[in-house]
Amino acid sequence: MNTGVLSAKGVCKSYGNNQVLQDLDLDIQPGKIYGLIGRNGAGKTTLLSILTAQNTKDSGEVTYNGKPVWENQDALSHICFSRELQPTLFTGPNNMKIKYYLNTASIFYPNWDQEYAQRLLQEFKLNPKKKISQLSKGQMSMVTILLALASGSDITILDEPAAGLDVVMRERFYQLLLEDYAKTGRTFIVSTHIIEEAASVFERVMILDEGKIIENAETDELVDQFRYISGHQEEVDRACQGLEVLSSRETGRHKSCAVRGGATQLAQAEQFDVDVAPMNLQNVFVALCGHGDEG
Amino acid sequence: MRGALGDQALIYLQIARMLEDDILRGVYREEEQVPSTNELSRCYNINPATAAKGINLLVADGILYKRRGIGMFVSPGGVEKVREKRKAAFCQGYIQPMIEEGRSLGLTGEELLTMVRKAIGEGEPS
Repeated sequence: MNTGVLSAKGVCKSYGNNQVLQDLDLDIQPGKIYGLIGRNGAGKTTLLSILTAQNTKDSGEVTYNGKPVWENQDALSHICFSRELQPTLFTGPNNMKIKYYLNTASIFYPNWDQEYAQRLLQEFKLNPKKKISQLSKGQMSMVTILLALASGSDITILDEPAAGLDVVMRERFYQLLLEDYAKTGRTFIVSTHIIEEAASVFERVMILDEGKIIENAETDELVDQFRYISGHQEEVDRACQGLEVLSSRETGRHKSCAVRGGATQLAQAEQFDVDVAPMNLQNVFVALCGHGDEG
Repeated sequence: MRGALGDQALIYLQIARMLEDDILRGVYREEEQVPSTNELSRCYNINPATAAKGINLLVADGILYKRRGIGMFVSPGGVEKVREKRKAAFCQGYIQPMIEEGRSLGLTGEELLTMVRKAIGEGEPS
């Protein structure tokens, strides 16, 4: 299993005048855990729903194994997009029971694992007879996690699975994800706002900003391109030559910069009389997507 | 193995460093097996590819070696290799910065050595 590449080319999507995705390209290689991060309203859910043919696009194409995914039941039965559940539907409260969601999934996904689903129901202490509208936000996240894991799909996509979960449950979720991945080696795409605790789980990270994927790289390799450089303003300016300065702040003669560069340039910066400190993924995200909002 | 990972240094470097620490402490002796990629992944909630990267770093340094179909083992002479690697890192990470700091305070080499000797003397029961 797990031979297909999920690929988007030149995807554009607008809601009215609001262009959410602009000429977006993306390749998802099989057998890796991808993290998708982006700011509020960056279009993460829109992107994920277009990748799984649950939403229309204005132009561009999405393919799995080289074939378009749109109305392609064969491809879609191997891709699971576990969306956030809504407590209300158009018609009023979401009165569907957990059981109904599980039954539907078991019909739709050819690799559905009923025993795994039962085990997770017990672990999460979910009563299958409960209606979605009666669940807490955390419990709704647990249902989406359960559906995703038990789907057994070659490509499994989780949209904000950590939303509403307490810290114990979040750790347990990452454990379950890694256990499943160790066993099956399938592809996961996980979107999240809680970046730092998820960083070590992602082999690759994709950053969505202003309608485009601005990074799609190995997490370590990406993070290692960034540093904070601080010290005497003149010395910092000298150290930053040849580096891309993403943001800088000055107080009197003191200056501190967020920079990006290759290994050789960063090593050169260390030769100056400045402090050079590493970043974590969250710092990198702010440096790339803060656009000055961080003050 | 340590309880938790820090959040600043790269994770695969932390994994490599942790294994080195445990080899120095005799947690894993020469010709003994170290935890597998999957065990490290489970233990620290990290991606197995990241754990593998840390292990491969030690393989490249000749500290670990692979027994096909069984797992990763501490090389014969691995403890000495870790110690040599750490000595080089100690010089670069502690001695060099100390000398630079001394220089920026205007200390002569002799003054610096006197301070070091004194500090060593204070550390030993006389």
